[in-house]
Amino acid sequence: MKSVFIVFNQANTERVEFMLDELGIRGFTFFEQIQGRGSINGEPRRGTHTWPEMNSAMMCVVSDDMVDELLKNVKRLDKRNEEVGVKAFVWNIERVI
Amino acid sequence: MSIYKSAIEKPITTTLIFVAIIIIGLFCLSKLPIDNFPEMDPPYVSIMTSYAGANASEIETNVTKILENGLNSVDGLKDITSSSKDYISLITMEFEWGYDMDEAVNDIRSAIDMVYDNLPDGVSRPLIFKFNTSSFPIIQYAITADESYPGLKKILEDNVTNVLNRIDGIGNLALSGEPQRYVYIDLDPQQLEAYGLSVEVVGQAVSANNLNLASGSVKMGREQYQLRVQSEYIESNEMEDIVIATTQQGKQVHIRDIAEVRDTIKDVTLDEKVNGRDGVRLIVMKQSGANTVQVCEDVQKEMKKIQKTLPPDIKIETIYDSSTDIKNAISGLGESIGYALLFVILVVLFFLGRWRATVIISLTIPISLIVAFIYLKMADSSLNIISLCSLSIAIGMVVDDAIVVLENITKHIERGSNPHEAAIYATNEVWVSVIATTLVIVAVFVPLTMLGGQAGIMFKELGWIVTIVCCTSTVAAISLIPMLCSKLLKAKPVHVDENGKLVEGNAKKNWYERTVVVWLDKLDIFYANALRWCLNHKGATIGVLLGVLALSIVPIATKAIGSDFMAQQDNGRMTVTIELQRGTRIEETMKFAREVEKEIQVSSPEIQLISTSAGSNDDANISSLFGSTNNNKMQMTIRCPKKYERERTIWEIAESVRGVLNKRPEIVSYTVSTASGMGGGASNTVDLEIYGYDFDQTNILAADLKRKFQALPGARDVDIDREKDRSELQIVFDKEKLARHGLATSTVAMYIRNRVNGFTAGYLKEDGEEYDIIVRLQEKYRDSMTDILDMSITDAMGKSVKIGELAEVQEYWAPPEIKRKSRQRYVTIKVTPEGTSMGEMAEAMQKVVDETDIPMGIHTAFGGSYEDQQETFGDMAVLLVLIIFLVYIVMASQFEDFRNPLIIMSSAIFALPGVIFALLITNTTLDMIGALGAILLVGIVVKNGIVLVDYINLMRERGYDLNEAIALSGASRLRPVLMTAFTTILGMVPMAISSSEGSEMWRPMGIVVIGGLTVSTIVTLIVVPVLYGLINKKNETEKLAKKRKNFIFMQLNVEDEL
Repeated sequence: MKSVFIVFNQANTERVEFMLDELGIRGFTFFEQIQGRGSINGEPRRGTHTWPEMNSAMMCVVSDDMVDELLKNVKRLDKRNEEVGVKAFVWNIERVI
Repeated sequence: MSIYKSAIEKPITTTLIFVAIIIIGLFCLSKLPIDNFPEMDPPYVSIMTSYAGANASEIETNVTKILENGLNSVDGLKDITSSSKDYISLITMEFEWGYDMDEAVNDIRSAIDMVYDNLPDGVSRPLIFKFNTSSFPIIQYAITADESYPGLKKILEDNVTNVLNRIDGIGNLALSGEPQRYVYIDLDPQQLEAYGLSVEVVGQAVSANNLNLASGSVKMGREQYQLRVQSEYIESNEMEDIVIATTQQGKQVHIRDIAEVRDTIKDVTLDEKVNGRDGVRLIVMKQSGANTVQVCEDVQKEMKKIQKTLPPDIKIETIYDSSTDIKNAISGLGESIGYALLFVILVVLFFLGRWRATVIISLTIPISLIVAFIYLKMADSSLNIISLCSLSIAIGMVVDDAIVVLENITKHIERGSNPHEAAIYATNEVWVSVIATTLVIVAVFVPLTMLGGQAGIMFKELGWIVTIVCCTSTVAAISLIPMLCSKLLKAKPVHVDENGKLVEGNAKKNWYERTVVVWLDKLDIFYANALRWCLNHKGATIGVLLGVLALSIVPIATKAIGSDFMAQQDNGRMTVTIELQRGTRIEETMKFAREVEKEIQVSSPEIQLISTSAGSNDDANISSLFGSTNNNKMQMTIRCPKKYERERTIWEIAESVRGVLNKRPEIVSYTVSTASGMGGGASNTVDLEIYGYDFDQTNILAADLKRKFQALPGARDVDIDREKDRSELQIVFDKEKLARHGLATSTVAMYIRNRVNGFTAGYLKEDGEEYDIIVRLQEKYRDSMTDILDMSITDAMGKSVKIGELAEVQEYWAPPEIKRKSRQRYVTIKVTPEGTSMGEMAEAMQKVVDETDIPMGIHTAFGGSYEDQQETFGDMAVLLVLIIFLVYIVMASQFEDFRNPLIIMSSAIFALPGVIFALLITNTTLDMIGALGAILLVGIVVKNGIVLVDYINLMRERGYDLNEAIALSGASRLRPVLMTAFTTILGMVPMAISSSEGSEMWRPMGIVVIGGLTVSTIVTLIVVPVLYGLINKKNETEKLAKKRKNFIFMQLNVEDEL
């Protein structure tokens, strides 16, 4: 079990939801209206006058074999429009109740 | 902080706010007057102008026409009608209802000022007067007496009117037909001539001996006295001894030598009889704004006390007491409201099965209704039929919001939340949709307040009351209800047992859960299955429904359902007017009246009282303008017992009275009217107006049409309102001969008047009252044409001249009255429909008119109640469109969809068969109140539809398949829909079956709502889902395809970049 944490410009929300639906990923936790900044050249998303845009994040816990498929689609989404921006991080899930 | 959260956090404040509202409402209730209808001042202004000496057609050309042209430009004027009679022009202006009458009167005044100079000299200043509802009598008494009759006027003035005048709220007290004491000195013209005297000389002698003159003061010693000559008559027989002249032989001529002095009551010109006995009528009017019921009660109480102080032969009977009607109607409605309340509570209890929940919901009813009293008080209105009807409509609706909120809170509690949290979060979930459904009701009822006309005044109150009551109930539903739930509802009793397992207490099912719930669950399942079947057979279902709809149009197309303006009420009274041959002496008319009274009594033994008036007061004053009787016309007011105390209805009794009258050949025409005569569009006649200048042409046409109308089935009391030409005696003077005698026409006219009508020679004073002393010729010397020509008058030289020498008398025919409407002469044919509706009667009449050859320059139009009805129905149609539009807007914005509201609204059409079948089964005509019920249905039906569609939308968004979503939401929403429908239907049942006084008025509304709602609820439960299924069929798959088409990023190739 892996946790995939997808952070994206909120303009991508519908696409991310569509992607999850298409992949048949049901479970998620959705963080709305979060702030952030990319490590390399990602634009700050602060909701201020200077940086008005905002991010959202989706955390999906998926089976290991699902991760590649999911990341591939995230990459596709990123490629569709790099300026809007989407990022995914994967880590291990230790236990589930 | 949101309203519901504040309410829950501050229960004491919330409770006290509502307690305060209740207390203020009850206070207002105690101050509210009780009346029949909301106060509506009729928008009529009359202008009366007199022009001495002119006959009707002169008045028409010289006064009425000029004034009409000037007045025609007044703002807000709807109709101008006029009547030109001898000496008097009376113009009546009708304004739009609700127009500011003070402004209208100002405009009229300036319009008159502009044309006043064009009027002939000698025309009086036009008198403007406004009508007012307070000028309608609230009580009429018939007072009869035997030996006290001659002194009745004084007895009544001293003991009755003076006492009653002290009662609060009394406006005016009028006696009609009271005997007036007069002293007549009837002269013998032959004796006069023998002594060389004239009427004027005698009159002057009589008044010269009737003096009370101050003659200066006299000083005597230290004192000073006023000197007076006191020679007023104390007794009437003193007059007999007055010396008029002394003959050349030195003999004195006394009044007794040439005349007879009679101290008596005035010659009859107006005859009032009660059950054939001498009597007078006492008419009591109230001040505007006074509480009719209160004033009537006070008057009746006072009258009982007065009765004891009067001579025993004087009997006082009530002809008409408006307070009994009002009280009965109001208490009847009050009872209906009480039952409605009970039914609503029972329905809630049945569906919820928990008494705590029922109590909470029932609390919203009184709170919401009481707020209506605050509105009524602030709007200066009263407790009346309309306001109480509105309340009874509202009862079924006010619980809806509370039910929605409570249901959701209960759901959360069932899941184990504690009541406090459940109240907050559950209310949060539903409060928006609760407000949205209330908005629909507001969209239906607020336009009602904008309706114009007479109906507008009634509907304004209804619109506001329902709106206010529903809004209050919504406020209560999102503040008081959650608060009460948080305090009164109990969390599910749960505990942990010794094994550490959770145990639900009270697991045993109670009686309600074992029976009603099981039954309701079965109903849900049955309905869901039925719905699935219908969804699979959409074509058949829609076909059947359209068939029912088409079937219901048949009664409309075949005119099986009639239409009326307002239902006639059986309040046990009728008015009969009888016209005899023109020129019949008043004495003959009286004799005839006695005979007819007896026959009517025999034919209808249930009649309690017949009060007849005939003749008219000869003094031309304003009140005589409104009196409809004259020497050959009489009016009878007939009173029967209350409708539940007799077997025949008032209409059957009226028919038997007509039977009596039909047998009398002396009667030229008669009408028997059962209308209440008190506001509210009482009369029910269809009036055909024939416009045209030529009297002969219009008369012939009217007579022709009258004959044809009489042959129509159901036509009663067909009457032409134009009076036939009246014969007059004209004295035409020879100007030359007049000049030779040095006489002017005016002097001669006065002489003739003195001889025939009498010369007023002062007053006889007694106990502060003055009685006229009239000097004139004995009757036998003034009752034929030769007598008049034989009268002698004194010329300028002091010589006696016979009138026959100066003039000749001609018989002459003239129309007594010329009526005009919209500045054209017109004549009206009034037809009272019996056993058929006004709409059908008008149509039949129109057909007759179409078949009749109408001369050039003449046109016809419908007026009267039928015109009012057409106008009202027209207004209502516009209103219906407005309501539909507003409701659509509210719904479309709620669903964010253009099509779904159409589904719901189309379901409202299916209320139509219900309305029609209900009217057909109960044999009721559709009237104004019924039409209102139909408008109301739109709101209720739509509300049901919203609940359903909203839920289907929800289920579909949750991913259920279309048909499944529909069936599921149908099953889950069945109970709320049934509950809303049942509360409203049962709330109306008492209204529909009530038989109290005045119930004829609101019964159609109950019938319409019950019929319409029953059918439409059943239909809504089928039609809305099926139509929804039809329209939304492809939507979901289309949506997904569209999304795929848009989001193409998933097809990108990224293998190399991973």
